[in-house]
Amino acid sequence: MSWKQVCNAADVPANTLKKFVTGGVSLVVANYDGTFRALPPVCPHMEEPLEESGVIANCVLTCTKHLWAWNLASLDTLGEAEKPLQSYETKEEDGKVFAFIDKEIVYEFDEDDGDDDDDFFSR
Amino acid sequence: MLSRMPSSEHDLDLATVKVETKTGEFSYACSSDETLLAAGLSAGFSLPYECATGTCGTCHARVMEGTVDPGWAEAPGYRTLRRDKGDVLMCQARPLGDCSLRVKSSVVQPQEPIAQTLERTGRVEVVRRLTKDVVHIEIALSQPMNFVAGQFVTIQHADLIGRRAYSMVNFGRDVERLSFVIKRKPDGKFSEIAFERNLLGADLQVLGPLGRATFRPEEDRDVLCIAGGSGIAGMMSILQHATEVRYFDQHRGHVFFGVRTLSDMFYLEDFAKYLAAADVGLDVTIALSDESEVPAAHPDFERIHLATGMVHDVAARTLTAGQWANAIGYVAGPQPMVDSALKVLITQAGIGPGSIRFDKFS
Repeated sequence: MSWKQVCNAADVPANTLKKFVTGGVSLVVANYDGTFRALPPVCPHMEEPLEESGVIANCVLTCTKHLWAWNLASLDTLGEAEKPLQSYETKEEDGKVFAFIDKEIVYEFDEDDGDDDDDFFSR
Repeated sequence: MLSRMPSSEHDLDLATVKVETKTGEFSYACSSDETLLAAGLSAGFSLPYECATGTCGTCHARVMEGTVDPGWAEAPGYRTLRRDKGDVLMCQARPLGDCSLRVKSSVVQPQEPIAQTLERTGRVEVVRRLTKDVVHIEIALSQPMNFVAGQFVTIQHADLIGRRAYSMVNFGRDVERLSFVIKRKPDGKFSEIAFERNLLGADLQVLGPLGRATFRPEEDRDVLCIAGGSGIAGMMSILQHATEVRYFDQHRGHVFFGVRTLSDMFYLEDFAKYLAAADVGLDVTIALSDESEVPAAHPDFERIHLATGMVHDVAARTLTAGQWANAIGYVAGPQPMVDSALKVLITQAGIGPGSIRFDKFS
């Protein structure tokens, strides 16, 4: 429940994503033009691992599985995306990347057992 | 609102399908021999789908009332669905009476209704061998079809379970004959019929047109295509349409076509014809993954560039960021190639995700 160091800034080259485990929490760090953002490690659409399917160009993260996309600075949804991208608060200090991990961010997916009729439209 | 009135012949068979979606409720008529998806698309509603052949699961809906025959129970797309909750694949399911469904998507009815049936029969009238494992086939339709360059249909053969998706090589209005490329696949049951038995004269069920990876000249954009193997089919229809309207007088186009060896190349005469008509606006590069050394230009068709390597790697080497900012990117082929090509278009060519079009068949 605090700022935790995830990686060194040099570990994630510009416009790439890399997966890390910090205090038992899996996340990916996105480097968009030198700014870092720590994210849950999967696409909110169909749990596709972002380290494999995510690409970054022009400040936009795209999951190439179905072209869901988000602006990494504003977190606006773009393209085909129908769900917001969630993010940990992230900062860079002295060449190190920190994320504020209060609790693990977990997306809910359609295949969850709790998918009953009442929440059919809520996801 | 009923968007399609029952036709006199099948009145008794017609069910009313009510659909609740994220963007409201609507209903349409569906006969017992139509799938829920085909009838809904025919009525002009943008129901969600990708493969339309029971594989991807995108067209799933939950049956809230009424009875629905789920169709092909072993369809791969059924593995992830909650059958106990009444979930069905609309591309496989048929109504057994009036029913109501929930579809977890935004669905709109376009201004312009499709105004044509999606279900046709067709007979294979041409089978032409292009390479050792690729054939060109032409299917004469029971009723003409209107479709846009880049679209596909699904085909069902009486001897096989399930449907296969194939993109048309041609395009147009009132088209009476569809052309396709079929590549032999290991364990591919339809391609086995095409290669081992005689497909000529075979009667097929044809459903379509489907797909969103379309080319429309009025969009006024450059065209960048990356295709592997039989994925070139839709690109050929784009080239045909573009050539007919002299599109490359004002726009640029580059088609990257991946095959294994020199003897696996096909449609070379067609590429040469389109290149000659296009003058400098169009480039075609054939990437040969299993050749180690090739001339930069095809010996017989000098306007066709040749290169060695996987097609997405060749595209990555060739494309320069900034030059294709105005382009729409089209991708088709085997899944790993599609995944890599999408990354190349976004990161190397600088094309935004909203300007990339592809249809997933699996």
